[in-house]
Amino acid sequence: MSKLREVLSAGGFAVVVEIKPPRGTEVAEMLAPVSRLRGRVTAFSVPDNEHARLGLAALAAGRLVQEAGGEPLVHLTCRDRNRLALESDLLGAASLGLENLLLVSGDYITLGDHPAAKPVYDADSVQLLQIARGLTEGQDSVGLPLSGRPSFFLGAVVIPEADPLAPQLLKFEKKITAGAEFFITPPVFDLEKFRRWREQLPAPAVKILTGIKVLGAAEVEQAAAGTWRKVYSVPPDLVQDLAGKEPEEILARGAAAAGSLVQRLKRGNLADGVYLKAKGRTDLFQKILEAAGL
Amino acid sequence: MIIAKRKPFAEIKAMVAPYKKILIVGCGTCVAVCLAGGEKEVGLLASQLKLALGLEDKRLEIGEITVERQCDLEFIRPLCDFIADYEAIISMACGAGVQFIRELCHRPIFPAVNTAFIGVNNDAGFYTERCRACQHCYLGITGGVCPVTMCPKGLLNGPCGGTVNGRCEADPEKECAWTRIYRNLEQEGRLDNMRQILPLHPHDRATTPGTVIHPAYKRRYEAHE
Repeated sequence: MSKLREVLSAGGFAVVVEIKPPRGTEVAEMLAPVSRLRGRVTAFSVPDNEHARLGLAALAAGRLVQEAGGEPLVHLTCRDRNRLALESDLLGAASLGLENLLLVSGDYITLGDHPAAKPVYDADSVQLLQIARGLTEGQDSVGLPLSGRPSFFLGAVVIPEADPLAPQLLKFEKKITAGAEFFITPPVFDLEKFRRWREQLPAPAVKILTGIKVLGAAEVEQAAAGTWRKVYSVPPDLVQDLAGKEPEEILARGAAAAGSLVQRLKRGNLADGVYLKAKGRTDLFQKILEAAGL
Repeated sequence: MIIAKRKPFAEIKAMVAPYKKILIVGCGTCVAVCLAGGEKEVGLLASQLKLALGLEDKRLEIGEITVERQCDLEFIRPLCDFIADYEAIISMACGAGVQFIRELCHRPIFPAVNTAFIGVNNDAGFYTERCRACQHCYLGITGGVCPVTMCPKGLLNGPCGGTVNGRCEADPEKECAWTRIYRNLEQEGRLDNMRQILPLHPHDRATTPGTVIHPAYKRRYEAHE
């Protein structure tokens, strides 16, 4: 049984750490956080060609995480596969014991490093959740029976700072109807704003892992220059504090700030867990966990 | 209508380099309206080719003609005898017209435009896409905004996570299609449409090449739809 499911259903606080599948086959760096942190972390999240940039297959990376002693959370994007490939990969995931899945539409292809590739989107994230749930009920998307029944713990993404918010919340409800059992958010920096958002959710009881991110120098520069264009905002005082510093100092300060956010989230009972993004670096994750007292 | 863009001149010139006598065929309908391949554009391309080849001391005999619609047998058939006098054809029609001339008139043919999309004429020289011809129209439930075309991802169940300030993730110059769908449905009191989960799109309907036979003509074409 999925440890992530166990922790969340027992009302515990899950800690998910995002690792970085390489553009290549050198996997040691990707797996470093797993061997060092597996005792302190609930699951290791494996993006699937994140930001439409090439990375080693998430399914393979998920298996490598398992072999290194960690529990994986594998992403599956609709951007790169038609329904046949999605279903086939879902069955493959189940056969490898990869239970935790994050099902996403996927960033648009032209934003990544293969901009001329064909974007697929044969299914959207709601339909992919339906497909995955159908598989757990023993049938594929055309209703044909399966041999065996896969077991999944299905996750999806929700955007607290979506603008406009109302269409996003309608989709959030559809994702729950379609089979989403937990949600992950993009990075959150303003916990008061996050608390207010969560209180007005149409399904307040749903499990939510809040994204917590350590900003890099390039992102700080972008925010300081006023060219920030992301689905989450960064507080001006944090940007002011980090701007102009050396890249490593930005990361160190960002990790300390992230640790404090995690601690406040947990103490305030604002989320069911956190989803940590820190460039896949073990030392930064350690700093966050230490600062958070985890 | 069909929107097209003229190909770069160098590409067209290179395509017809082996020939001494060519015919440029314009199309008087969609591509004339979008200023890509009508009678005026035929004349312009002929002049460009003559000037460019003249500078290189090369000779190319160029005929010019524009028909009402290159996608219509009625207008193409009379053209075939005329075309027989030429070594090659440059068609300035959309991809449908180019192929139809080749099918009927048996001459090497070269396209002078890149066909872009089915779209609308917003203003002089300003055209935008509206339809992907998917053979499964959702417009009745999506507030008159096509999710297949107007959302780059073709998402059927609401916005992706990349919408920022109501703008599209793929192109911030454009409004998010689902922001518009939501707004229209809200104005129309039909937001429940957005609460239902739309099933996977039936792509098999649009397996290419498509054929449509009007029900009244089924017997004539012995179609079994």
